[in-house]
Amino acid sequence: MPPLIIVAKKEIKIALREKLAVALAVIIMLLLGVALYAGFLSYQQQHVVITQTQAEKRQEWLNQGDKHPHIAAHYGTFVFKPKTVLSLFDFGLDAYTGTSIYLEAHHQHEFMFRPAQDHSSMIRFGELSAALVIKILVPLLIIFLTFASYTKERESGTLSLLISQGISFRTLTWGKILAYSTLLLVILLPFLIGLLILSIFGSHQQTMPDVTTRIVLLALIYAVYLFLFIAFSVWVSLHSSTGRNALLILLSSWIFLTILMPKTVANLSENFYDLPSIREFKAAIEKDKAYGLDGKTPRSVRIENLEKELLSKYEVDSVQQLPFNFEGVMMQRGEEYSHKVYDHHFGKIKEIFFRQNRLSSLASLINPFLSVQNLSMAFSGTDTYTFLHFEETVETYRREMIRKMNNDMAENSKYGEFFEYAAGSELWHQLEDFSYQTPPIWKSLKYYYLEFVSLLLWMVLILFLINYSNRKTKPLYG
Amino acid sequence: MDKPIRTLIRYEWKSFVRNKFQLFMLSVILIFGLYAIYSGQSEINMQRETIQEVTALEQEEFSKYKASYDEEVRSLEEEQLHDIASRPSFAWFRHGYHAIIPPHDYASLAIGQRDLFRYYYRLTGMSLHYQLFENELANPVNLMIGNFDLSFVLVYLLPLLIIAFCYGLFSYEKENGTLALLQIQSISIRKIILVRLAFYFLMLTCLALLISLIGLLTSGNPLTVENLVPAVAWMTGVMIYCAFWFAMMFLIVSLRKSSSFNAITAVACWLLLLIIIPAVLNVIVTAKYPLNSTTLAGLTRRTGLEDEEQEEAVREVILEYLAHKPDLEGSDSLIQNNMMAKGYAAFTSLKDINSQNEVDQYNQQVANRNAWTGHFHWLSPAVNMQDVLAHIAETDLNTFLHFQNALADFHEKITDFYFTRLFWDQPILLEDYDELPVFEMHPSDDRWNKIWQGITKILIATVLTFLLGFYLFTLDL
Repeated sequence: MPPLIIVAKKEIKIALREKLAVALAVIIMLLLGVALYAGFLSYQQQHVVITQTQAEKRQEWLNQGDKHPHIAAHYGTFVFKPKTVLSLFDFGLDAYTGTSIYLEAHHQHEFMFRPAQDHSSMIRFGELSAALVIKILVPLLIIFLTFASYTKERESGTLSLLISQGISFRTLTWGKILAYSTLLLVILLPFLIGLLILSIFGSHQQTMPDVTTRIVLLALIYAVYLFLFIAFSVWVSLHSSTGRNALLILLSSWIFLTILMPKTVANLSENFYDLPSIREFKAAIEKDKAYGLDGKTPRSVRIENLEKELLSKYEVDSVQQLPFNFEGVMMQRGEEYSHKVYDHHFGKIKEIFFRQNRLSSLASLINPFLSVQNLSMAFSGTDTYTFLHFEETVETYRREMIRKMNNDMAENSKYGEFFEYAAGSELWHQLEDFSYQTPPIWKSLKYYYLEFVSLLLWMVLILFLINYSNRKTKPLYG
Repeated sequence: MDKPIRTLIRYEWKSFVRNKFQLFMLSVILIFGLYAIYSGQSEINMQRETIQEVTALEQEEFSKYKASYDEEVRSLEEEQLHDIASRPSFAWFRHGYHAIIPPHDYASLAIGQRDLFRYYYRLTGMSLHYQLFENELANPVNLMIGNFDLSFVLVYLLPLLIIAFCYGLFSYEKENGTLALLQIQSISIRKIILVRLAFYFLMLTCLALLISLIGLLTSGNPLTVENLVPAVAWMTGVMIYCAFWFAMMFLIVSLRKSSSFNAITAVACWLLLLIIIPAVLNVIVTAKYPLNSTTLAGLTRRTGLEDEEQEEAVREVILEYLAHKPDLEGSDSLIQNNMMAKGYAAFTSLKDINSQNEVDQYNQQVANRNAWTGHFHWLSPAVNMQDVLAHIAETDLNTFLHFQNALADFHEKITDFYFTRLFWDQPILLEDYDELPVFEMHPSDDRWNKIWQGITKILIATVLTFLLGFYLFTLDL
């Protein structure tokens, strides 16, 4: 048996004798189980509620009876945000993004009902998700397992014995890393399989077509993250004179990386880039809709221009003579102008979000926890960009709905005969039912290249440190 | 104070001053504390600015209305404005009033749910439920990560500092071989540990109180009527929370294990109380009291009367609404003029009346959740403490649920004001502008009960933990 394996075997034996570590491992497995189960439960609950309500709203739309298309456009419909199946693993922003939206003519509404609003401030401590357990709790288990891996050998004198028998530091270090990685793999593998089974067989695939790829990616980044933690902890232990010191350094880094720094970065990003209040935001939109984006073309002028344009194009003297209902075209042009206004203002808000999130991406270069947190949400489809993509899809659907209504009005009704015209279920059926699919994963990756770079850099750094120390360390160090 | 104790304290002080790491941690906490105060204040100041802006917008709106009464000869636009100002059939859905909960002076120290909920609304006489569910703009990532305020520093970081200072109190002696020397002293080893714990307790509690005091003083004058009791409660809470963690450390130390064991156990306790227990409770409460906001979403639909051109239908809607309003009943003249406006007003109000039940049920479910989690606060003094601080700063969920009720009352005042005039066909006079509806919110009665109860629970946990530690120390382990 090669010495590497012997070292690893011995290390595993010792770890299994540590009652505290074993207890913690059991607790973590328990929590992981509970987290996955609870996540699955709430995914199922939400899925049922949303499919049902969405179907109801669809029926309401189809069976709204005969009415003028513009009234129908105001009657509108609702869209509810589906939970992605991988939200059972990482809840991400799900509690903090709105879940319902009302689609109607003239107004691009904001999403309503953030689930966290239905909780006391205890929700701010976080919810138990499998991702939370692996991101925060498992590293702690790693620290407990590994902090004494070298110091114990040193304190009890076995280190000199091992070295004198011709075992290199290289073999020792990698043997230890191998041992802990194996242990973690054994602990976590069942849950990975569980996650795969749940999300492939328990899911309603429509919203997330590339689930398997995403799970593989998730497994990959978490494996890298945990490996980094193991290697770093063993390295710290190698460099510490006593177990107590190693523990102190590791615990301080853990708290700094997982608790303190994410909060500070988020807070700084808010101080750097201010968001307007909703009242100002809406007021600015209304102003631009009324007076034009340049502030010089009020609605009346825009209508006048359109009228002139159409009259000369069709070579007629009055709007009544146009081959279509001028009001319908006017309505649609007004709508299109408001789209420009909305795109402008929502674009600014998104830009602020991007900048705020960018800070956390940059900070992830020094903190792999942040990389994993951001990537994990991205792969689970619970991150900002998936939400914004959903928001855009919904808005495109709303615009399509209004366009259909306005065009019908232009084609089928007469000028000035608002109360005389009514469309029926044939028109309502022309609008397809809303459905949503998350974008393929490679599309959202472009927002996260810094996070990848971070993981890569850390990997290189840790490997370098370990190799360097393996070569330089003397057994009687400290 | 007898001599050995004085000696102990003197030596503890010496070893404290020489320990660079401990000094470094103290200054880190101090810096984070100050930054947290600053950051909380800048967040709340932004809210104050927004409140000023919206109040200014409202004043501008109403002063325009009032000014429109002065003009003798009017342009078309002025005429339109005067119509909006004086004719209830326009005014009831145009005049917007702001309902605001201004932040408590100490909200900046514990932002709680204040970043998540709306703290101001603009209400018109239109259906309340159109206007209630719009969210404030916020980056969901930052909402998820939460605020960096003083309550975070006190609840999360302070315990870590306490752990770092105390985990080696007994084991260091054992590991350095000084334990035997201590054991042969006339003073008992338990007493030695207690004196040293007391020393660090005083020091760290003073630090926590100092940071709190800086926060309290810079956020508002603690001597005013509104601030005095909250400030006292804050300081008391912080002190007792510190005491709890010291009792916890005493308990761990009393097991007389190695330094590493103590550090691991203490951090595991911290993890349990600050992350695992609340996270598990949050998941359980979501599953146990499921909430379906999709039903409420439907209320925001902007519907009108189905057949508004038919007089009979409009008349029926108005009559149905009048049946709910005894003050408006009994006159035909209520219906005759301005039927469209009255019909629409009646329609949206009826909608509110009919859906109020649904909204109430929903809010009740939220309150149920809140009450259920309240039962488990004793499990984690940290959760308890955070809740107490949020209650003190009036940034807790209850305040916002209470605000929702106050909004409903205010909306009723607004509709009463306009609908009496609309249905009796009276114009809005310039004098009426002196009696516009005003938003009021009375503080809820039981908030202080909750605060003192919460603090008492932490105190009980402290005493029990301490006694257990005291008992364990007497055992021969």
